[in-house]
Amino acid sequence: MVALSEKEMTLGPKAQETLRHLLRVWLDFERKLQSIPILRRLDQRTFTPEDYRVLLLNMRPQVIEGSRWISRAASSFTAEYSDIRSMILRHAVDEHRDYTMLENDFLSIGGNLEEIQKAKRNIGTEALAGYLMNEATKPNPINLLGAMFIIEGLGNKMASSWACAIQECLSISDKSTTFLSYHGENDETHMQKLYDLLDDKSIAHDAADDIVKTAKVVARLYLLQLEEFDNT
Amino acid sequence: MTELGQAYITSTGTFLPGQPVDNESIEQKLGYVHGKPSKLKKRILSSNGILTRHYALDDKQRSTHQNRDLAVAAARECLNTSEVDDKSIDLLAVASTQGDLPLPGLASLVQAQLAIGPLEILTTHGVCSASMMALKSAFNQLRVGEKKNALVVASEMASRLLKKSRYEAVNNLRIDLESEFLRWMLSDGAGAFLLQDKPRWRGISLRIDWIEIISFASHYDLCMSCGTNDQSLWSKDLDQTERNIDFSWQDYASYADAEANGALLIRQNLKLLEDVVKVGVDGFLKLINDGKINPSEIDHFVCHYSSHHFKGRILDLLKLAGALIPEEKWFTNLYTKGNTGCASIFIALDELFKSGNLKPGQTVFCVVPESGRFANAYMRLTVVGGRDGGAF
Repeated sequence: MVALSEKEMTLGPKAQETLRHLLRVWLDFERKLQSIPILRRLDQRTFTPEDYRVLLLNMRPQVIEGSRWISRAASSFTAEYSDIRSMILRHAVDEHRDYTMLENDFLSIGGNLEEIQKAKRNIGTEALAGYLMNEATKPNPINLLGAMFIIEGLGNKMASSWACAIQECLSISDKSTTFLSYHGENDETHMQKLYDLLDDKSIAHDAADDIVKTAKVVARLYLLQLEEFDNT
Repeated sequence: MTELGQAYITSTGTFLPGQPVDNESIEQKLGYVHGKPSKLKKRILSSNGILTRHYALDDKQRSTHQNRDLAVAAARECLNTSEVDDKSIDLLAVASTQGDLPLPGLASLVQAQLAIGPLEILTTHGVCSASMMALKSAFNQLRVGEKKNALVVASEMASRLLKKSRYEAVNNLRIDLESEFLRWMLSDGAGAFLLQDKPRWRGISLRIDWIEIISFASHYDLCMSCGTNDQSLWSKDLDQTERNIDFSWQDYASYADAEANGALLIRQNLKLLEDVVKVGVDGFLKLINDGKINPSEIDHFVCHYSSHHFKGRILDLLKLAGALIPEEKWFTNLYTKGNTGCASIFIALDELFKSGNLKPGQTVFCVVPESGRFANAYMRLTVVGGRDGGAF
């Protein structure tokens, strides 16, 4: 657990309200995650090596798409939002080669590089990536903070426990779960930046509803992606 | 629609049987299972923080009371300090996890022993939020003007499930955390409220502003139960055909078989407890977003959970979202009165009501998370002064 900075301890009332709405979207999302068969098996420790293989194969296309929409979003911000643009660009740099971690994890459990590199987007990933790219193309897509809340939230709140559970189920070391472990450790900092942005007065006041709505859409489509594993 | 009236808690009562039992004597009281001390007791006690509690048991684990007796004693204390006569009571609602008899309902037994009525009765059955269900029903009956003076009682006698003979009756007993957790958690006691359609003449009353009960049973598996030896057989995801035939205690050829098979042990799925907190937080955020409660206006926070259940990221996020209730506003008597299931919230409010710390205009916010299968209850109360114009 990372201690919160003084600034974040005193989010403005509007940002707090937005955060409360986002938290409810998150809690609903988390509840629904528990019904996803592959995650349920992980929870019940009946997760198999095949499950992990499928997980990695289905995650890679999303991760590739993720770095694209983030970069696109950065370019859609006008000069008055240069702070956000810088933040998002830094974020994109942080994560745009994430897929190599996924590939290495896949190789370490006996997968082959060509197979994972050829993995296609499942129909949920198509929907998620299509939606995000469309939003990212609009001018000043502040609503995408809602998308980041869900996606970074997954890393921040779930990735570490998934990594541990996978290691336990498959008797493998953290060297085979580098992607999940990395996000579990680093997404906290990303979340902090996100809270800062939520508190920015121009953002919090004008875009709160859009941010929350985008979080809901992304949560729904992310679930769809997990439900449609291998449905390419 | 005609305008709804108000309902006020105008008097409260508590009954706790016997002397307080501390952590050193608790196992002596409930009995050493097969003569051996528990290996898990210390760990469970240190996690729940309870220091003393009460049991309606003597030193040989024989019941000293019926559940009905606990309920009646709390009700009597409540009525004795009220401004109404027994004959004015027009509704009796009684909540418990388990009544004295499978039938009739506990309210019938309590009414008979209180010797009140004829009147309307209601028995609610569940786990921790059963009392709030009874309270809400009484609250609404007063609001629509159908009743004027409702007696609501919450009573628990968990010790019957916790004494050593219950565990010794199980064949090839394997006590694990799931089946032992509640043994060091629950205890006996009863609380009672008198609800009226107007505040007291003298002294404070608690106006019930609203009660919300939200159940997530369709989203989660059993978390706390009694009556099955395998909670996972009740999973929402399990196909009907995959279930064993003997899966409710009533399906065994004899009740003795059910007990021998461990179907009558009270169980808690600890893995799901964190989700109980999350579901509770979700409901709280909903109420804030709906404008029903503003965290900054809460003067007294009475929660059936202790504050140490809220930790880690969820605590940070609540803080950040302006939804954290400062520690100094929390009121609990869990540590000295024990966790008495659905009676706990009444017993806590009784102590707060009589503490002298409630001032007219103050807001009391109550939360009762029920782990059974994720039913959470929330209530907002406003302290009002006496109709005589004086606060006390």
